[in-house]
Amino acid sequence: MRQSSKNRNRVLSWLGLLPFLLFCLAFEIVPILLLLRDSLFTRAGELTAANYQGAVAPLYLRSFWNSIKLSGITALLGTTIGLVVGYGVFRWPSKRVQDSLIALSDVTTNFAGAPLAFAFIIVLGSNGLITQFFLKYLDIKLYPEFSVYSLSGLILAYLYFQLPLMVLLIIPAFGGIKKEWRESATNLGANTYQFWWNIGLPILAPSLIAGFVLLFANAFGAYATAYTLTGSKLSLVTLQIGFTITGEVLHEPGIGQAMAVLSLLIMGTCIAIYQVATSRARKWTRG
Amino acid sequence: MMGSLKKSKPSSGQIFIVGIFIFYMILPIIATYIFSIATRWDRTILPEGYSLEGYMEATTNPYFFITLKNSLVLSVASVLVSLFVVVPTVYWVHVKLHSAKPLLDLLMILPFGIPGVVLALALVQVYNFQPISRSPLLLTAATVVFTMPFMYRSVSNNLAAVDIPTLTEAAQSLGANTFNVLWRVIIPNIFPGILSGSLLVFATVFAEFTLARLIVGAGFKTFPMLLVEYTRKDGTIAAGMSVISFTIAWIVSLLILWASGKGIKVSRESIGAR
Repeated sequence: MRQSSKNRNRVLSWLGLLPFLLFCLAFEIVPILLLLRDSLFTRAGELTAANYQGAVAPLYLRSFWNSIKLSGITALLGTTIGLVVGYGVFRWPSKRVQDSLIALSDVTTNFAGAPLAFAFIIVLGSNGLITQFFLKYLDIKLYPEFSVYSLSGLILAYLYFQLPLMVLLIIPAFGGIKKEWRESATNLGANTYQFWWNIGLPILAPSLIAGFVLLFANAFGAYATAYTLTGSKLSLVTLQIGFTITGEVLHEPGIGQAMAVLSLLIMGTCIAIYQVATSRARKWTRG
Repeated sequence: MMGSLKKSKPSSGQIFIVGIFIFYMILPIIATYIFSIATRWDRTILPEGYSLEGYMEATTNPYFFITLKNSLVLSVASVLVSLFVVVPTVYWVHVKLHSAKPLLDLLMILPFGIPGVVLALALVQVYNFQPISRSPLLLTAATVVFTMPFMYRSVSNNLAAVDIPTLTEAAQSLGANTFNVLWRVIIPNIFPGILSGSLLVFATVFAEFTLARLIVGAGFKTFPMLLVEYTRKDGTIAAGMSVISFTIAWIVSLLILWASGKGIKVSRESIGAR
């Protein structure tokens, strides 16, 4: 008797979750699963690899290469520069300045999309502020070698939201390096280089890996900034998938679906690595 | 860390690095603010003159207020749906259904792994029937899915910091019924979390471009969509609209800082409207 009422309570408890689960199923999980199914089958219902073969044809392969290059470069630069800036912020003596810098990172990492893209046109466009400064005072012509509308411009614009994100991620990790460890290492005769190589870096490693993959996914899935800056001049995976929906550029819907599934795989891998790495990193930052 | 090594003044290397960082982060914003009030700024380092014409021109365009209204409606609707779908669920799992925590965690990480374009493609293809096809309603569902993690993290961090069982028992022993416990005790205690979650959802949806453009398109133009249009037509107006977007983001961030100063830490590392 008691057992059955307990079971009924359990069932009732799970029923409380139902509205949320239905919402997720309806607007997230089922549509994604159907996307996966549609990418693998023809309209007649036969299993096919044609969409995936189409998605790796030279035209679309180049967009994968561009997206991976853009994400990889901005993630690498974001991680390394973010590490250095994060350390500078972490060691800043004044708590007030430190908090302001963290707040600045917090706000700027969310400045993205069209306003950010346009801000970069103002600063680095062909008549931009920096472009003119270089021309007038340093006699350096940025254009046409550099262009804010090309890959190099996108890298600088993406760094604008990647860098502060890394700063936010890495600052707690520095807190995981206890001062006692530094003192013990120094007492045992380790120099600064030895301390960082043997103790600091291994402690930071999970956070650095987590930061890199999160930044990679962050850039890979981005659309608005690239759309505003490059339009259709640079071929990126997200822009191509967007064209499938709007029908601006004529292509096979199946290829768009296959590209979407492939980018889900890439993003999913990044987020999975991020999860594992952050749970490792938490070991140091807790307690 | 390394308290013994901490100096009272930052080193010159530190000032240099942090200085460049601040410059990189601030310059595009300042330039946009100046550009929005500049008459002409393509031949000189500083603008040739200043005027508010860009703003006046922007506001005479009827689309300006239509898109502003659309974006506000979309953001508020997303916050409301999120409040009704996400918040009760987080509370329920926290109090009654601990075993569902891993499932909830997983569902809340998923949106981070789905690019906006992919979610848009999946939704547009499944809901290809009237009246929901390409409707603002479908868009709202998408923006809620996209911003769920923000609401989830804010509320669950707040719940974790409050001793719900003790508070509930205390209120019940004083004769409060379930409604009173929720309304008078639980909600006020997790209000900072609900508030910062709502503000994050609001700000993210207001700046959202990808889902709005791809799911509804021209039928329901949002503020960011109009802004993108102007980046190709009129720079001064585009700058003015960027300033408005930046300013809204600043205000919301300040409000979140204020809310999180009220006792909880809001984690924000996530993927927004890029």
